[in-house]
Amino acid sequence: MNLVLQNVGRRFGRKWIVRHLDLEVGEGECLALLGPSGCGKSTTLRLIAGLDQPNEGSITIAGEDVTTVSPVDRRIGMVFQSYALFPHLTVFANLSLGLQVRGIAASERKQRVASVLALMQLEDLAERHPAELSGGQRQRVALARALLRDPLVYLLDEPMSNLDAQLREDLRPQLRHLILQGSQPVIYVTHDQHEAMAMAHRIAVMRDGKIEQIGTPQELYHNPLSLFVASFIGRPQINLLPAESGIIKAIRPEHLQLSSEGIPCRLVYREWLGTSQLLILESNRGRLRMLCASEITIPETIKLNWSPEKEHQFDASSGERC
Amino acid sequence: MIQLLLVPAALLIALVFGIPLLRYSWLSFHADSVLTGLVAIPNHGANWLRLLHDQRFWQDTYQTARFATVSVSLELLLAIAIALLLDQRWRGRGVVRAISLLPWALPTTVMALGWRWIFNTPYGPIEQFTELIGLQPLNILSNPNITWLATVVGDVWKTTPFAALILLAGLQTIPNDLYEAFHLEGGHPRAALFQITLPLLQPYLLLSLLFRLAQAFGVFDLIQVMTGGGPAGSTESLALYAYLNAMRFLDFGYSATVMISGFLLLVIACLIAWLIIKQTSHWREALK
Repeated sequence: MNLVLQNVGRRFGRKWIVRHLDLEVGEGECLALLGPSGCGKSTTLRLIAGLDQPNEGSITIAGEDVTTVSPVDRRIGMVFQSYALFPHLTVFANLSLGLQVRGIAASERKQRVASVLALMQLEDLAERHPAELSGGQRQRVALARALLRDPLVYLLDEPMSNLDAQLREDLRPQLRHLILQGSQPVIYVTHDQHEAMAMAHRIAVMRDGKIEQIGTPQELYHNPLSLFVASFIGRPQINLLPAESGIIKAIRPEHLQLSSEGIPCRLVYREWLGTSQLLILESNRGRLRMLCASEITIPETIKLNWSPEKEHQFDASSGERC
Repeated sequence: MIQLLLVPAALLIALVFGIPLLRYSWLSFHADSVLTGLVAIPNHGANWLRLLHDQRFWQDTYQTARFATVSVSLELLLAIAIALLLDQRWRGRGVVRAISLLPWALPTTVMALGWRWIFNTPYGPIEQFTELIGLQPLNILSNPNITWLATVVGDVWKTTPFAALILLAGLQTIPNDLYEAFHLEGGHPRAALFQITLPLLQPYLLLSLLFRLAQAFGVFDLIQVMTGGGPAGSTESLALYAYLNAMRFLDFGYSATVMISGFLLLVIACLIAWLIIKQTSHWREALK
């Protein structure tokens, strides 16, 4: 089972929301679509689900071209950002409605819903309505519904964004385990890079309707192909130092080192983060962010250096790596 | 103590609704007509006894219930269809939305007069048409068997937009996500009407049903202008009968009795409607 997008484009009027999109997600692979709001990641998801039709290109699921297939017949397991649970139905009825409209007999419905309820630890909530559930419980119901769809592809649209930070961290391993135990490809839309890195095998960074770079979290971190990706991936944000002949040098805050030689800096601000500390430094080449171990005592004025292999260089006008 | 905030509204309702109701209930146990010199004299329920044996009252009760049930049912069915149509995206929807409100915005007397002319024999367009295709005149407004249907037409035309507006507002509260989720579950758009739309529209259906029942049970101006209650009293509503008792026969005591019984009838009708809707939601609950 896999998912392939070839040269997919969607426009509203004259404006292309996404264009020239090529993607391939393999069996059991989780791909995160990561980008700022308005970059086209949600549109891409809706195109895959069939909730929206592309103006050009083709979408193939499990070897079958589904570009013009209705969402009703696509076998997609989707978790909506809002969870989209049916408010007038109990949890049990929410889960069995899909089986019912697909013509599955009542006895089998009951049995399948019961087993998913057990898997998701939702048995006690079966007779409740969505309004009586917490955010985390709703998410589990939405996920249970996607599992019951017996889908060819899983699509998750910001499934964590309505949950508080603690719950998000708790749920990540659980969600990853559940979704990835199948052989289906998974598309995970998020604007949170931590979530993308935690959940996905590969990340596609999107910007203005195009894929800026696609690769493993490690590749994106160590080898960003553009200024945008370098700035978007990694927190605190990468340092950008304008250099001669239209080149921008980029060094991650964690790769700056104290040394006897190097750029002279003055400490303006210090944030203690537990195991590390974030330093904001003023230099004659602009503001710098530096991340170092929290035990180190930093004097008022220091000199900074970095090893050349940690340095990325980008073309200032095109933003591309050089 | 948040209930305190309801006090102004409660006072207003007591003033314009409670007091007249009490006053009429009181009056219904009094003789108050030209014969008593328009002075209220207690008559120990004689009005209510008279009501029990008043054939005209029972005929009007039947007519009012028939008119209200048929026209409100038709209105709600049409309103659902119109609301669904106006909820879709299509070119010119805004204009049609505005136009569809026109019947409701028109004063009832004006449009009732319009319908009277439309149904007029022999000059109205309908009779002109029957004549053109060589049929006998229908005599719509002078045939006791069918005239009430003409008043139903007038009422449906006038008040469907109101119900449609409420239902349209209800449709717009249903998130699109739910339909998309339903489609991805393998549900066809037509099935969504019964699985998603109508269940979620239920509170709005109940609301417009109660509004419309209340109005239809008190129908007065439409009947007064269109038929004057005729022919042979076949379209006379309870409100019209109460009006006639007071204004033509100058019997205010009996008029109050008719009015209060009409009110009780409406309360019963609303209870029945509410119970039916509650019952059907229990069925749905059980079906799961």
